[in-house]
Amino acid sequence: MIQTRALLEAREEAGSALSLRLRAPDLAAQLVPGQAVLIQTGWGYDPFLRRTFHPIAIDSESFAIRLAVDGDRGRAWLRLAQPGAELDCLGPVGKGFILPSRARRILCLGGGDAAWTLLPLVQRAAALGHAVTLATDALSKRQTIPAAMLPISVEYHIATIDGSAGRKGALSALLPELLPWADAVIAAADMDFYRQLGRAIEAARVLPPKGYAQALYQMNFLCGTGACQACAVDIAGGRRRVCLRGPVFDLVDILR
Amino acid sequence: MINLAPHNKLGLIIDSPLIAGSGAAGYGAAWPPGLHAEDFGLIITAPISATPRKGKAQPRLAEIPAGFLLETGDHNPGLRRVLASHVKTWRKLKTPVALSLVGGEPGDRAWMAAHLEDVEDVIAGVELPIPETVNLGEAGALIAAVRRVTPLPILARLPLTRAAYLAKTCVVAGADALIVGAPPPAAYPVDGDWVEAPLGGPIVLPFTLRALRQLRDMSLDAPVIAAGGVQTLDDALLCLELGAMAVQIRSLAWRDPAAAHRLALNIRSFMDAEDN
Repeated sequence: MIQTRALLEAREEAGSALSLRLRAPDLAAQLVPGQAVLIQTGWGYDPFLRRTFHPIAIDSESFAIRLAVDGDRGRAWLRLAQPGAELDCLGPVGKGFILPSRARRILCLGGGDAAWTLLPLVQRAAALGHAVTLATDALSKRQTIPAAMLPISVEYHIATIDGSAGRKGALSALLPELLPWADAVIAAADMDFYRQLGRAIEAARVLPPKGYAQALYQMNFLCGTGACQACAVDIAGGRRRVCLRGPVFDLVDILR
Repeated sequence: MINLAPHNKLGLIIDSPLIAGSGAAGYGAAWPPGLHAEDFGLIITAPISATPRKGKAQPRLAEIPAGFLLETGDHNPGLRRVLASHVKTWRKLKTPVALSLVGGEPGDRAWMAAHLEDVEDVIAGVELPIPETVNLGEAGALIAAVRRVTPLPILARLPLTRAAYLAKTCVVAGADALIVGAPPPAAYPVDGDWVEAPLGGPIVLPFTLRALRQLRDMSLDAPVIAAGGVQTLDDALLCLELGAMAVQIRSLAWRDPAAAHRLALNIRSFMDAEDN
């Protein structure tokens, strides 16, 4: 983990939200999809806590974060930042997704805003020659990931709650047809979806083997080193610190 | 050099007035980037209880203006496992380490202190957090019970809002130094639930300064250590001016390790300049 000042290079629209591209070669070189970056916001002591982001794009010299529209004053401060600003970043935090070397067909499942955090993994998996399917859900078409942001080889399925794009309904409705195809599953969503995913895998594959599905456990971190113990949750058979054991876990451990 | 336990035959000599407060670096191994044990004169571990504690379920953390509330429920693996896992690390450190001992009953702390006999060469002292709700008799009994079983320097961490009330009793009962102190508890809603916990972050500093001002006028025969809300060199110097011999940080190390490292360098430079 390092602490560094990242240069805000560009602000871009990302669906209904804003994405910030941050140049920080030393940090970007260490980042693995699914890991977190903690960014200081505000000019003084308010907000005091750093904001937690899982980058939506990573290259050798920079990474991008997504700012959804919400009432958080730290993210509101970031939305006002202009190119040329320097942001204090701490990261990478925790363990990211591991591309299963023996898996050929990888199913990536993203629920709501968390789906965006799968983009760096989708890019890497496609570049390495894996067959990748990305399935996401969103409230409406406006919140979905534009297909143009995906490698051309990636198969893309969308479900929207209002039916404005793809299948009407939630992501879980797509699972029965997609799961039998997949050698490995990578997911970023909420706990409700992970429970549904666990049940769907059991139904499709008798029992979910350890290592078959990885899932991102999203939460806000304070220190990112395990010292503060703010992120301890009941997971993997005990009360454990997500910043050290996660934030990417085996789905079996999340549901245990 | 500063002696935080001048009346204890073992003494507690530190080479910098900056202390890593309880849990700032976990048990002395969870250092954030750019911050090192050598930045501090003393390291105080995260809380340790006689038996393992699972701690509080989520939510543990709530953000408030200029600070936060954090309630871990003293989540820790218990004394035996902490010693088994960390004594080797402490032995290698050039910075002295004090253990923060917590317990439900005064007997728990005394039991733990008695079990430190085999590692007294590695441990520089024990911190005893005094609960917010104790009366004078209970505070004195808690310190005295530990004093009877260990020669190690005792650092009594007093609740900031009751420091003046408890200070003299703790010194008479055997505390070698007073940490001022434990921030007042507060409550804040999080996602439909509540976090009830001590304050953390810069919002605590005014409570610390008030307690230091109260203790300054009491002619206590024990060093005072300031803890709570210190973020900058100016904050630290204010505490030293008010009679503190040393200053603890915790939230600064978590939030901005680079700033904590700068503070460590600056406070050493300041002390060197004062000495010359």
